[in-house]
Amino acid sequence: MSALAVVFHRNRLMSSYLIVAALIAVLLVSGAALSDRFLTLRNLSNLFQQAVVLGLVSLGQTFVILLGGIDLSIGALVSAVTVALASFLEAQPDMIVVGLVAVLVASSAVGALNGILTIALRVHSLIVTLGMSSIIFGAALMYRKEPGGSVPPVIEDLAYGSIGIVPYTAIALIAVYLLAGLWLQRTRSGRMLYFVGGNYESARLNGISVKWVTVLVYTLSGLCAGIAGIFLTAKTGVGDPRIGSALTLQSITPVVVGGTILAGGTGGVFGTFLGLLLVSMLNNLLNFSGISSFYQWVIQGIIIILAVGLRTPKRD
Amino acid sequence: MSDPVLNLKAIEKYYPGVKPLDRVDFSVQSGEIHALLGENGAGKSTLTRIIGGATKPDSGVIEYCGQVVHWRSPKQARDAGIHVIHQELALFPELTVAENILIDNQPRNALGFISTSAGIKRAEEALNRLGVAIAARARVQDLPLADQQMVEIAKALVGEVKLLILDEPTAVISGREVDLLFDNMRRLRRAGIGIVYISHRLEEIFEIADRVTILKDGRVAGVSAVRDLTRESMISMMVGRRLEQIFPARPATPSVGQVVLQVNRLRAGPRVKDVSLSVRAGEIVGVAGMVGSGRTEIAQAIFGDRSIEAGEISIGDSPQRLDGPRSAIALGLGYLTESRKDEGLFLGMSVAANIVAPMLGAVTKYGLLQARMEQTIAKEQIAAFSVATPSCGTRVHNLSGGNQQKVLFSRWSRIASRLLILDEPTRGVDVGAKVEIYRLIRELADKGIAVLMISSELPEVVGLSDRVIVVAQGRVVGELEGPAISEESIMNYAVVSTERGADLARGPKEITA
Amino acid sequence: MSTANLRSSEPYSLTIDLALEKFGLAIFLGLLLLVASLVSPVFLRPANLLNLLTVAAPLGMVVLGQTFVILVRGLDLSVASLMATVAVLATVFKATSNEAIPLIFVAAIAFSAMVGLVNGFLVVKRGVSPFLATLATMIILQGIRFSYTGGAPISTLPPGMSTLATGRLLGAPINLWTLGLLAVLLGVMLHKSRFGREIRMVGGNPKAARLVGLSPDRVTILCYVICSVCAGIGGLFLLGYVGTVSNWVGQGYELDSIIAAVMGGVALSGGRGSVFGALMGVAVLIVIANLVILLGLPIEAQQIIKGVIIIGAAAFYRTRLS
Repeated sequence: MSALAVVFHRNRLMSSYLIVAALIAVLLVSGAALSDRFLTLRNLSNLFQQAVVLGLVSLGQTFVILLGGIDLSIGALVSAVTVALASFLEAQPDMIVVGLVAVLVASSAVGALNGILTIALRVHSLIVTLGMSSIIFGAALMYRKEPGGSVPPVIEDLAYGSIGIVPYTAIALIAVYLLAGLWLQRTRSGRMLYFVGGNYESARLNGISVKWVTVLVYTLSGLCAGIAGIFLTAKTGVGDPRIGSALTLQSITPVVVGGTILAGGTGGVFGTFLGLLLVSMLNNLLNFSGISSFYQWVIQGIIIILAVGLRTPKRD
Repeated sequence: MSDPVLNLKAIEKYYPGVKPLDRVDFSVQSGEIHALLGENGAGKSTLTRIIGGATKPDSGVIEYCGQVVHWRSPKQARDAGIHVIHQELALFPELTVAENILIDNQPRNALGFISTSAGIKRAEEALNRLGVAIAARARVQDLPLADQQMVEIAKALVGEVKLLILDEPTAVISGREVDLLFDNMRRLRRAGIGIVYISHRLEEIFEIADRVTILKDGRVAGVSAVRDLTRESMISMMVGRRLEQIFPARPATPSVGQVVLQVNRLRAGPRVKDVSLSVRAGEIVGVAGMVGSGRTEIAQAIFGDRSIEAGEISIGDSPQRLDGPRSAIALGLGYLTESRKDEGLFLGMSVAANIVAPMLGAVTKYGLLQARMEQTIAKEQIAAFSVATPSCGTRVHNLSGGNQQKVLFSRWSRIASRLLILDEPTRGVDVGAKVEIYRLIRELADKGIAVLMISSELPEVVGLSDRVIVVAQGRVVGELEGPAISEESIMNYAVVSTERGADLARGPKEITA
Repeated sequence: MSTANLRSSEPYSLTIDLALEKFGLAIFLGLLLLVASLVSPVFLRPANLLNLLTVAAPLGMVVLGQTFVILVRGLDLSVASLMATVAVLATVFKATSNEAIPLIFVAAIAFSAMVGLVNGFLVVKRGVSPFLATLATMIILQGIRFSYTGGAPISTLPPGMSTLATGRLLGAPINLWTLGLLAVLLGVMLHKSRFGREIRMVGGNPKAARLVGLSPDRVTILCYVICSVCAGIGGLFLLGYVGTVSNWVGQGYELDSIIAAVMGGVALSGGRGSVFGALMGVAVLIVIANLVILLGLPIEAQQIIKGVIIIGAAAFYRTRLS
């Protein structure tokens, strides 16, 4: 067997990383060939600005998927956050900090509720978060049917400002991912995700408090949705109850492409980051090439199939 | 003799409609291996759960190291030094050995972050105490089962373990691995640890245990030093009656017919290297060998569930290229798998549905199922195999292990007109039901069906088989017939080859050690 | 002696168990209808009920298909996207005469079957999780559809199409007749035929199913095909009802179909569920939607109630399983 084949066979995760890295390289080359504006710093910072919202929800989704669950309420939660924040800041443009904190607390609380319901009712997270998504969506819609509200310029700066050439969004994204990676690999609570996600029964038998871990993970997912919502509000300047509806399913792509499997237990944020790069770069590239955004969808679907189908062997 | 590590007095436990434990006394000394014996349903698992802190007794006292305790959770019991090693190992296959041993007690560095290197060191210490050569960085799912079990035990050694409970540890290992396990148990005993050893296998209890407590129907039927008991006295205490004959008598004149199955130089995957065997109509051929010797894989290959690389399988006179279980069934083969829950039963479906599962064509007309036909067949089989079930529509999930096994028997014997392959036919079945199943197997053979029986329970192989084939490392290493069949002669074949084979499999490092 | 060998003292007959489940759902539906009729006396009038059912019919068709996929431990997220794509496909022929209608149907069914094959192939032969495989298909269909229409709605349709959806035959809308026919056909298939039994076995225990001679791969792929075909037919009828073809025909139906199925007792773990239950699930959804309007609640309240109900229903069925 060739060396590459041995790597593929032995370590599924490594092989995922390799595939994605290879695809990213392909994109980089294509991009550079397509336009000389592609490899500029300007474009790169643009990339981060586009990617920050997706990156944050994908991060939250990574935690949940590592645990073996799924969070289908993330998109609705993001929308609700934009509605809440934009409406609040329209009425009280001075109480920025209060608004931000309140919104983060609320989104984390919703996440916690998801976790509690999953445990207490012993229902699969798919159903709980699906139901919760409906509830949140309905609530947001009831509060505000059409996009509206406004944000003070300080907030808008979050999305568009930068320190020197490094945009705030890039700093935020990389910082959050680094923290998350560190937490997952090097702390007791972080490792618990791998235990509970790897084998729920074993975790329970070994005395790990699976309930606590579950609630924590969903709370984090809610928190990530909250942060994402803040950035999204900053970008668009309004609150829109429908804006996040596509985000839910989109948030799963980078996670899965990056090697974390839906069953949980293996993977991590590094893979998600790679997946995020791939997806964002792809969108960026397609914008450059002038291919209509409609085709972007087709290509995203194909990327998923490639990344997942290539590494999953034909079952016996 | 020191103070008892564990002393349970008058423990009782009720559930609605059933009382698993009725005034049970149980004590374990430190530095003792105490066996816990009993049929399925005798109360062993409930007792284990109470000892381990997973359940609270409804009345009675638990004394641990001289003090009365009330465990609120298994974690509490574990922190106090009580470790339960379940039959289904509580490991994390995708994680490393070190992480599995330490779980959430990994050592941290100055910054408060987990230090993998310190963790590896601590794990290696525990593994060394056990005397096993397992790489701390290896992923658990890449290890053989016997090593995985060692990892579980190493887990117990990391903390201050005083009481170790092993629940049927030899269900998935055999031969040299069992020897290793017993060596380690003796080592732990010398260190003063009290060990509770739960097993069905009387030979093992005679080999390793100091005392034995026998449970029957939730009560203590007897406590004794092992050396004061015989096999028969143990069994009669367990079952409550003298079992004249566990194994049905073989027919005086064996009516063995033509060769039904002929396997020649079969090679199928890494576990089946070169196997040749034959089975005639009306004969019971036992297949003995260590776990991992490839017996199940042979069965799978014969049944068409595993692709064949070389060799020939003939049913009757004609060689076959079976491309799947469906063809095998059409040829009159049946396969009762090792794990009835995973591969045999449709737990959510009725007894009737389970019985007719491989013969849907027979109960279908114009594409529609004929409920009446299904019921008739089901009722016939239930009666013929004495399956205890309220009705043929009962969900199989609700039946006891023995009766579930009988449902599977009734399924396959209906359509296996030529060859029936049995893989561990009495696993997880209590003694009473075992006797019935042995009788059924003999009856099937007497009717002219060829029976290929894989079993890790030597008494079963010896008691039932007309011929025995011993398999090791994917090869047939011995064949025994008639009076030559005995546990010793089987073990002789299985052990000698395996040791050599195991040495070769491990690699140069271990051989020179 | 026989009961001593039983593990628990639950109601032990499979038929009684299932009956209890359906009964519970029927009672719940009945309660909802009662409340609705109290709120608005016209609710229980045949005309109103018929109207509700007609609107619900396309969703019902999709739910029927989704049930089959869930039964084999799968999920089909592409159904809504498929509905819309089929709707767009219907306009490809640029037909304005009713003679084109049979052609449209054949094309729609063929296309849907093909999509179902792709889904099934991905799941079965390449081991992709159903969630991801159908997500990918959903996205790709969306892309194909949008690039054809350029995002704008189309309205070149034979007028017969809307008659098909809203027209009547013997007093009942054709929509409903089709749903009824589909329900009967699929119901008989699932509950009385050999194939239906195979579906349950494959969904209940795929390994055991293979060992008794079934082909889990073939059965699973067929279920995905059935699901897609149902969605395609649903798309045509929804299209006829709406009149113009937008790119978002059937939006939300994928999640609604899963919600309805779960409410109807179809277990996500596979092997359990009934056509009757699934249809009841749809009925519950529709009645709730209508109830919300009748109660004068804002339409958005529908979403909230749907969410609460799906969590509640799943919790209810969970307690029954253990």
